[in-house]
Amino acid sequence: MGIETFESEDSILVTRDLKKYYPIRREFNPFSRNPRRFVRAVDGVSLSIRKGKTVAVVGESGCGKTTLARTITLMTPPTSGDIIFEGINLTKEKVRPKKLYRDVQMVFQDPDSSLDPRIKIKETVAEPIRSLVGGTENQVREYVRTSLSAVGLSEEQGDRLPKQLSGGQRQRVAIARAIGPRPKLIVLDEPTSALDASVQAQILALLLDLQRKYNLSYMLITHNISVAQYLSDQVAVMYAGNLVEYGDTKTVITKPRHPYTITLISSAPIPNPRIRNLLDIEIKGEVPSSINPPTGCRFNPRCPYAEKICTEINPPLKEIAKGHYVACHFVEKTA
Amino acid sequence: MGKLRALDHVNLNIEEKQLIAVVGESGCGKSTLALSIIGLLARPPAVVESGVIEYKDVDLLSIPSKKLRQYRGTEIAMIFQEPLTSLNPVFTIGDQIGEAIMIRDLRKSKQQSDDLPSDFMQKTYKSNVTPKPSRIPSLRRRRITEALQKEIIQYLSLVRIADPDQVLERYPFELSGGMRQRVMIAMALSQKPALLVADEPTTALDVTTQAQVLKLMKELMKEVNTSILLITHDLAVASQVADRVVVMYAGNVVEDSNVLELFSDPLHPYTKGLLSCIPTGTKDETVIRPIAGSVPDLRNLPPGCKFASRCPYVMEVCKQKDPELVETKPDHKVACFLYGN
Repeated sequence: MGIETFESEDSILVTRDLKKYYPIRREFNPFSRNPRRFVRAVDGVSLSIRKGKTVAVVGESGCGKTTLARTITLMTPPTSGDIIFEGINLTKEKVRPKKLYRDVQMVFQDPDSSLDPRIKIKETVAEPIRSLVGGTENQVREYVRTSLSAVGLSEEQGDRLPKQLSGGQRQRVAIARAIGPRPKLIVLDEPTSALDASVQAQILALLLDLQRKYNLSYMLITHNISVAQYLSDQVAVMYAGNLVEYGDTKTVITKPRHPYTITLISSAPIPNPRIRNLLDIEIKGEVPSSINPPTGCRFNPRCPYAEKICTEINPPLKEIAKGHYVACHFVEKTA
Repeated sequence: MGKLRALDHVNLNIEEKQLIAVVGESGCGKSTLALSIIGLLARPPAVVESGVIEYKDVDLLSIPSKKLRQYRGTEIAMIFQEPLTSLNPVFTIGDQIGEAIMIRDLRKSKQQSDDLPSDFMQKTYKSNVTPKPSRIPSLRRRRITEALQKEIIQYLSLVRIADPDQVLERYPFELSGGMRQRVMIAMALSQKPALLVADEPTTALDVTTQAQVLKLMKELMKEVNTSILLITHDLAVASQVADRVVVMYAGNVVEDSNVLELFSDPLHPYTKGLLSCIPTGTKDETVIRPIAGSVPDLRNLPPGCKFASRCPYVMEVCKQKDPELVETKPDHKVACFLYGN
């Protein structure tokens, strides 16, 4: 499947054929012979994140990108496949969660629900440091102070409660909490989609700044193409649990080759009234259900190039240019 | 109890068959504007201190609420942001669109005579009875006629829903987000409104669905001859569909211009700031310049221009007086002391 070629010397995290299926509640009939059904949220995803770089996972709701993030951070165990973090296979070897979470942290989409409304900001930031790093109270306080100032919050603001801060400031707190234990990898799950445009820009600038300062690796989950383009080095496009395209950000965004990526990128509106391409594109149908995905290529019912083989065989990722992988039987047609 | 000025001297003019986008960040008053236009603003607690909303020479703010009903929904329709919360979960799609059409027909037949009697819903509708009663309680004694069924199907196919005859039997939870929003649009369009107020109609949708819905709205605008007031926080969306863009900040209109001018030559510092906030390339190619600070607290605003605290070009006069919206170029108005005023 061309899996190995993704990995390089400086990979910090690698997944191999990662799958996560959720069982659907069985019908209440002990004599039923219907087989158990599953939601195939993540269905065979292989990718790698390089040290100090950002991989953006883009796709529409229900494509499995959040499940991928939750699986990678072991918040939910994978059904099958491997997750290798710094050479340690997390699915085979026993790893203490504490050790893992010191290195892998997460920022969630909605700071309103990811921060405890009843404890002070500095306590929220101190908690992971205390439990994952340890040290004396003075050392913890020092960590908290540097984390808060790294995200541009004052010490006085550390004494407040989440509701006393604005949405953008709350997302800064969530980021301060994530960088607190000095992790190597941060999984960012839609870090700016709950924010206004001007605040989103502040957070994007902050994330870039922190990445350079602490040599962080990011896995960015987003549906916003322009955010992915701005923040990432590589882009992975997901559709119905599968990876359909992977490559350098610039290549994937300016010269997409998978028919789905082409649709996705042309539906992202560009802020230029002179290029009104949004109303020209033709989009058929909707994202398929992940309980009964179409056979063969998941995109075939919506694809303008679909032929018989597309309904039979799910195409593997093929390297079409150096570092650019596309899963399509007729990739030459989109050139 | 203090007062919060959600809207402050907002002047807006919507012409026929025009798509106007109102752009602004959360809390700038754009939804309040939409709700005031359609008369859904809860009063109290809201108070309209001054101003008029004129629709075809009728002041919608001064007419009694019973009279307003004739306009609301029928002449001025609205689409809300979250289609799941605006559809009733316990009735089928067909019932809900059918209700809208029945009410429209009732209003039409009554319009000439006088105001609607308050019990008009309970009167039995006798013509063309088929055995299928509507499941909406207020319309239970009415029947979903064959003709009505056809009309519902016609509107569902107008908004490009596949298998409309099956979809009308379904409940909202059985539809995807994009389909729900299309049902809302179908319902609004069944009224053949002269003005459609769309409050963030695509914010809850995915980008490909968003493109479908926007394209549909733009096409239907031509077919049904509707003007659209599109409320959005996304400048990119506005640039793609609008004829004119109105930028709001903290309850004020700061810039009002045709779409080409606004993006090629933005005047107000806030508009400029918003445009430079949108990333349009990779981190090596573009630099985004965020607007410093955050939206002021509307409960205690300092005097002067509301953007003064974040503005890079702030002058002494900005902190004392409120700038007025003036036309600096043909078809381009701005409220800023940098441009005359």
